Amino acid sequence: MSPFPDASPKAIVQLIPPPFRSPAEIVVDHIQHGTFQRSMALLVCSTSLISGMEVGYEHYRGSFSNPIMYTPILLSGVLAAAGGAGFFSRRAAQTVMRWASFVTLADGLIGFGFHIRGIARKPGGWRLPVFNLVMGPPVFAPLLFGTSAYLGVIASYLQREEDHGWKGKTIDAVKTATTLRKPDWREDIRVGRFQKHLCVVTAIGTVCSGGEAWYSHYKDNFKYRVQWSPVLLTPILAGAALWSLRSKRAANTVLPVASALAMLNGVVGTGYHIRGILRRPGGRKKPLYNTLYGPPIFAPMLFAACGMLGMMAYLMRRERS
Amino acid sequence: MAPQKVQTKRLPVTDPLDGAPIQLDQPGYYEGFSTLSQQAYWDDATRKVVLQRMTAAHPILFFTPAEAATMAAVLDRILPQEDRTAARRIALLPPLDDRLFHNRIEGYRYEDMPSDQDAYRQAAKAFEQMAQTACGRSFHELETMEQETLLQSLHAEKPTAPEDAWKGINIKRFWALLVSDCCSAYYAHPWAWDEIGFGGPAYPRGYMRLEEGQPEPWEVDEQRYQWAAPADTLTDTPASEQTGEKVQSQAGQGGTH
Amino acid sequence: MSLFDRNKPLFGSFGKPKDGLHHLGPLQQIKPPQRVFRDDEEIDYLIVGVGSAGGVLLQRLARAGFKVAGFEAGPFWDTERDWVSDETGSHNLYWNDLRITGGTDPLALGNNNSGKGVGGGSVHWAAFTPRFHPSDFEVYTQDGVGADWPITYEEIEPYYQLLEQELPVAGPAWYPWGKPHGHPYGPHPMGGVGDTLIDGCTKLGIGVSAGGPVAILSASRGDRPHCIYRGFCIQACKVGAKASTLVTHVPDALEHGAEVRDNSMVSRISVKDGRVDGVHYFDRDGNERFQRAKAVIVSGYAIETPRLLLNSACAGHENGLANSSGTLGKYLMAQAGNVILGRFDQPVRMYKAPPAHALTEEFYETDPKRDFARGFAVQTVGPLPIAFAKQMSVAKNQWGWGLRRTMMDYNHWSALGLLGEILPWKDNTVELADGKGGRPEARDRYGLPVAKVTFNLHDNDTKLIEFGKNKTMEIMRAAGATEVVQEARYAHLVGGARMSKRPEDGVCDKFGRTWDVPNLFVMDGSVMPTQGSANPGLTIQALAARTADYLISQGSAVFTANGRDLTSPPCRHSLSPPGTFTKGIPHLR
Ligand SMILES: Cc1cc2nc3c(=O)[nH]c(=O)nc-3n(C[C@H](O)[C@H](O)[C@H](O)COP(=O)(O)OP(=O)(O)OC[C@H]3O[C@@H](n4cnc5c(N)ncnc54)[C@H](O)[C@@H]3O)c2cc1C
Ligand code: SF4
Repeated sequence: MSPFPDASPKAIVQLIPPPFRSPAEIVVDHIQHGTFQRSMALLVCSTSLISGMEVGYEHYRGSFSNPIMYTPILLSGVLAAAGGAGFFSRRAAQTVMRWASFVTLADGLIGFGFHIRGIARKPGGWRLPVFNLVMGPPVFAPLLFGTSAYLGVIASYLQREEDHGWKGKTIDAVKTATTLRKPDWREDIRVGRFQKHLCVVTAIGTVCSGGEAWYSHYKDNFKYRVQWSPVLLTPILAGAALWSLRSKRAANTVLPVASALAMLNGVVGTGYHIRGILRRPGGRKKPLYNTLYGPPIFAPMLFAACGMLGMMAYLMRRERS
Repeated sequence: MAPQKVQTKRLPVTDPLDGAPIQLDQPGYYEGFSTLSQQAYWDDATRKVVLQRMTAAHPILFFTPAEAATMAAVLDRILPQEDRTAARRIALLPPLDDRLFHNRIEGYRYEDMPSDQDAYRQAAKAFEQMAQTACGRSFHELETMEQETLLQSLHAEKPTAPEDAWKGINIKRFWALLVSDCCSAYYAHPWAWDEIGFGGPAYPRGYMRLEEGQPEPWEVDEQRYQWAAPADTLTDTPASEQTGEKVQSQAGQGGTH
Repeated sequence: MSLFDRNKPLFGSFGKPKDGLHHLGPLQQIKPPQRVFRDDEEIDYLIVGVGSAGGVLLQRLARAGFKVAGFEAGPFWDTERDWVSDETGSHNLYWNDLRITGGTDPLALGNNNSGKGVGGGSVHWAAFTPRFHPSDFEVYTQDGVGADWPITYEEIEPYYQLLEQELPVAGPAWYPWGKPHGHPYGPHPMGGVGDTLIDGCTKLGIGVSAGGPVAILSASRGDRPHCIYRGFCIQACKVGAKASTLVTHVPDALEHGAEVRDNSMVSRISVKDGRVDGVHYFDRDGNERFQRAKAVIVSGYAIETPRLLLNSACAGHENGLANSSGTLGKYLMAQAGNVILGRFDQPVRMYKAPPAHALTEEFYETDPKRDFARGFAVQTVGPLPIAFAKQMSVAKNQWGWGLRRTMMDYNHWSALGLLGEILPWKDNTVELADGKGGRPEARDRYGLPVAKVTFNLHDNDTKLIEFGKNKTMEIMRAAGATEVVQEARYAHLVGGARMSKRPEDGVCDKFGRTWDVPNLFVMDGSVMPTQGSANPGLTIQALAARTADYLISQGSAVFTANGRDLTSPPCRHSLSPPGTFTKGIPHLR
């Protein structure tokens, strides 16, 4: 017997007081069997709206000085619509939403390339790595922008809520077992067995988002001590996610704790950022300008989103192999 | 916001006990700040110009030795440097001499002023005459206070005798010229930038912390202390308080916007 | 933290540019100017002065296929080799040759007004680019003072829009003053001084524009990088983020076959049979030469333009070329540019960020409640140490230890600039210091009489300055300054060869064509009849682009005919430098 109490999602759910227990059980059950395509589609829709707004104002700040800067904004609109469609239609989820997500993901990668080049073209280029990283195009932003597209890809391979059968024997799972299709990553997603996969993504996302937090707070001279918090949480969450690759126990313990902290941190951070905007000269009398150049309002949310990915990983089943 | 912190770690320029001047390599509130330490980040053309300013030897070519002695003493009172160690004083006369010798003018002359060269020659003579008339000694041999008193009278546009020493010169304009030449020499020097906490040249690397006076990673936070000028000076109080009347100075000259 | 304490960039100190190319910023490189016209080759348009106006004219006319050459008294800058980020080291950007200044309120010249070298004043301007207001074009009609322009706001408006895209101008999406409009590039972040202005204005309920309008890149654009907020704009922008015709228009002009003849000082315009046939000039070695041309455009700045025309006096034009109206060199204007300085308990570090980045035009128009006509703007300025020391020696009347003490607080001071409209007066003049008629005598190294500038404030001006100064001090105090002082100053010389509806009121018509000589044009700040309280640079360039359109519409008629066609040309969008319309934000025009 392990000296630790069982901290798997199923066990934790049992700790929830009765009136709330059953909905929680249902949620966990759906997640563990990959039958949450519609909820995921809705999530894709809302996150791409938010990230569309974010690149919108970031690229406005960059004056759209290259027409390609419009693409992420257009694509996030498309993806939001596709997510909406995916909520209503299985077909849409497996076609439009999937394609839109892949294209957006590719756009994020291209954007990453452009941002690296943008830094190279600043005076001093990469020979002034810190200065130009801080003052140049935010290098990780295009990758983070890809988060909602990534969720879209995942969603497009999931099963729908209505596919959920009795006690984990979902219709498709039964079908798979009988057809003996070669289980690849898509199959893993379909049946809700992609914990390790999500852990990898969580780790990458956390490093990127934490990296942004580090250099933007560095730009601000770490004026408040609390600005260190996302920077300190980054290795914890990323470490937990990577550790979870090897250890199921880590996935059931440190991972959810670190993820919860990151989500909390993101919420608190958003509050601080809003306060920061209001405290700028002109405050609420210059709402647009101060949002543009005040603390980035969506950035802490992105960090929280990484926490959310980690939390999802925790709730997920591990890959079979 | 937090009130200013007054630090007492660094001492005032004069020893509070015996009033003797205490000399520092780097006066000002930015101990440890060095713009020169950042020169690898400057572009080549700028680095060359700044380093040459610090090292080039400037023989005095325009002023005669006597004029040079007077003018050096005058410049030392316009921007005194007794709080700096001898090795860290910024030469003021050589850049002025160089400018006049090579006729590098600011692009204009006031209608009621002679050329810069003539104005300075006459002024050197006039300072000497004022010193002789008032104290019977050469200007550069006078006590600090005596020199300041004479300069103060010029600043107030009522130079002490002799009457015609300043004839043909608009004193207000000459004063502005004199102070501005001193400022141009002193505040062009990296040591002066260190003293006042100015970041110095900035290309290719620019600035990232634009607001709230935040220092760049390589700049230094201000460390304030109770800076005091030497006790025996007239010039540390505002002019209006010295003379009891408001001196109307002329319009400024630098371009801004 | 060793990564940040390093005292060197990766791979060691930044070195010299190694290639043999001519640099216009870190990325933009061109081959040195190629084309050279022979002296006896008759070129179509000879432009005197490749500055704000001259650069635009050169580019437009070259694109339209004319044979054009720009004669420039100063050098063709290589920004990597010639420019430095240092105050004293930038002395040679200015017109430093002798001028005489006088009057009751003499203007400081030199680094306070004009440039010398390709790009002219646009090399050292702070790049504030507000438009004039519609009311500026009819000051006399509205207020009974000053003069009316021979054109309306509507006529110049398309050129404002065009130039705002070509430079391009960064600023807020909604600019409420004058005729409201937006900007093609997004606003800039604030530096300490901008925060002062925003803070002070919002506390007093005064509208204020943050982050522009300035002709400084708030994002990279082709081979011009984003501003690096180094604050050396007035010392010329090595980054190439700040617009100057040297980087915005001249490269395109060379590309299209224009010649820039640098270090060539035009000394006299030659007239034969009532028409201009070329110019005399001193080449880089000081030899006097003559260049033939079918038409000449003088774009030499509000002082050098009248001076050159006065120096070109000849039989039939005894009082100066194109001066039958007697207005040449008269109605010179400068704006009141008082600098208001405030000390804050917390550090500001005003040397960071471009000096130009926020302004208010809330007081721009005539207000019947005030006892003077017209108004003023309040803008950010960010003096570097030497400029600041000089300002403090004046504003606080300090020297000696007092000045040293004040300077140690450099980082605690913030500075705002007043920009007040001074009306055109006949007794504000540019004359020749030729020793005649009671004028002093002074000559330059070529033996040419230098300009003598006379400037006197009048009653309306004094009242306006007093009011504007106090208002700016109020803003400074509202922002939290504990000590506020000010220094009087003037900025931006324009006028001196003004355009007019009727030949007897000015030197040139609304396209800059002189009333007296059909193939002689004036096009730069000197054509302005009034000046508003907006910085003149954008308007100068817009006027130049409009004149270019006119000349192109006129075709070869300018070279042969003596008639005067005053129909307005269409605004051409096909002559802009490449990339003008593919970059930037869709905005309210
Ligand atoms: C410190 C400072 C800040 C400024 N900031 C702003 C600002 O923020 N916004 C703004 O709008 N304006 C600003 N200005 C004003 C602006 O720079 C000028 O109004 C503008 O550049 C004038 O344009 P121009 O075409 O009339 O002359 P210039 O641009 O000065 O061009 C004239 C050119 O002609 C050449 N030239 C003259 N005579 C001859 C000759 N005889 N032969 C050959 N060449 C000759 C000169 O060398 C020069 O290059 C600023 C000015 C200064 C001094
Ligand atoms: S502040 Fe910007 S525009 Fe001004 S000189 Fe620096 S980089 Fe150029």
